[in-house]
Amino acid sequence: MALVKRKELSLAEKLYLPEIARGLSITLTKMFGKSITRQYPEEPLPTTAVTRGQPRLVERQDGHLACVSCGLCEAACPAYAITIDGQETDRPIEREPERFEIDMLRCILCGFCEEACPKDAIFMSSELELADYDRASLVYGLDQLRRQRPALQRRIDYIHGINERW
Amino acid sequence: MNTILVWLIKVLIIYGGLLGTAALMTLAERKVSAWIQHRKGPNRVGPCGILQPLADGVKLFFKEEVLPAGANRLLFRFAPALTALPAMMTVAVIPFGGELELFGITTKLSIADLDIGVLYILAVGGLGIYGIILGGWASNSKYSLLGGLRASAQMVSYELSMILAIVAVIAVTGSLDLREIAQAQAAFTDWNIWRQPLACGLFVVTMFAETNRHPFDFAECEPELVGGFHTEYSSMKFGLYFLGEYSAMVVMACLATTLFLGGWSVPFVPEAHWLLGLAAFMAKTACFLFLYIWVRWTLPRLRFDQLMGLGWKVMLPLALLNLFITGALLSLTGA
Ligand code: SF4
Ligand code: SF4
Repeated sequence: MALVKRKELSLAEKLYLPEIARGLSITLTKMFGKSITRQYPEEPLPTTAVTRGQPRLVERQDGHLACVSCGLCEAACPAYAITIDGQETDRPIEREPERFEIDMLRCILCGFCEEACPKDAIFMSSELELADYDRASLVYGLDQLRRQRPALQRRIDYIHGINERW
Repeated sequence: MNTILVWLIKVLIIYGGLLGTAALMTLAERKVSAWIQHRKGPNRVGPCGILQPLADGVKLFFKEEVLPAGANRLLFRFAPALTALPAMMTVAVIPFGGELELFGITTKLSIADLDIGVLYILAVGGLGIYGIILGGWASNSKYSLLGGLRASAQMVSYELSMILAIVAVIAVTGSLDLREIAQAQAAFTDWNIWRQPLACGLFVVTMFAETNRHPFDFAECEPELVGGFHTEYSSMKFGLYFLGEYSAMVVMACLATTLFLGGWSVPFVPEAHWLLGLAAFMAKTACFLFLYIWVRWTLPRLRFDQLMGLGWKVMLPLALLNLFITGALLSLTGA
């Protein structure tokens, strides 16, 4: 068993006064240092391509969604956040979602839906803020989920880059 | 008639100033603590957060009042007022400046000039501790009771050293009148901080203890006692404690200015204009107020036995020694 030998305090240390003065001088100099606070709503954190925000649906240039309502994302979702009702369409892709809902309160931002999608139709955006007064309005439907392709381009390129490595 | 009017105006201005300063102190506390910790502090309400105290006050008004089960209803309600009132009463005898002449009326810048101003401040200011003890006891909560007990023990130990430090100043000046004490230090070299440095140091340390401030805030002591004596208090009753505490700090800072920094005397400017004098008084008081905050965000809290040891084994002997030396020097020089 080791015996801890405490150092005898010198008179200056016993008086505490020099140390108090030192502490006070440190806090005084710190006072004039630069603040590291980020004023959040005005200065949001920068996002990158790796940022996994809320999933969004890609809208093609012709104004239609890229989604063919195959249901793979719904099946992949570990949080059961996605609900899809599909319908037929005359366009060459034949199927499109009639209802596509993601319950943002259930979504855990895992990105499985993005990975599961065979049509590059759903991507994790860099949108992070989620606040409302009731639960119902946080179940996002087609209108709230659709984003034009350029808005998601950074993420899309990033995911394609990853996929190419496989 | 005229004198009553002048007097009323003085009361209004000085009390408004006291409450305003106390409110601004809560903001300053948060701002300075933020700067020391490299943060920004409140800056949303009004320019630079200047209206934050107002917002806090409004919030406190709308909070629910909680009366703990088994609390002594009367004392529980009475105690916060008992803390706030003495702190506000003591400001009456503080001389903020010399004589001034405005609109043909000559008056002195203080509400009352008592011959025994120092005694009045100590006696009335000492009442404030009853509010803390009663509040702690009436809450019917162990944390509050412990906070109150600690406050009383601390007050007894430090009040003694404080009074002895002040007695040395009184011995040098030969008067209990705060105005005369301040006038005796008109010249920069006559300031009591030079003539009584040890007393000044002792006073500053005991001043922290008397107002329950860090590093002696044993009545509150969040990590050990939840909130100390005000654990059970909510809403405006808590606000009143807060107000009392900050008013007491302001008055103590004023007292320290008067006793040791020459009150309204401006260094190297004899016969200064009364406005300049008032500004000097406020600047000196602000220094002490800043010291309060600065120390709070620097030093850790003492342990309770260390507090008692410091009070009885260091402060008291030093104060007695200082008084002895002062007395000996005074009688030797025959002053
Ligand atoms: S990110 Fe994960 S939890 Fe959210 S919808 Fe997609 S799969 Fe479901
Ligand atoms: S996996 Fe892709 S294509 Fe299939 S339903 Fe989901 S978003 Fe639509």
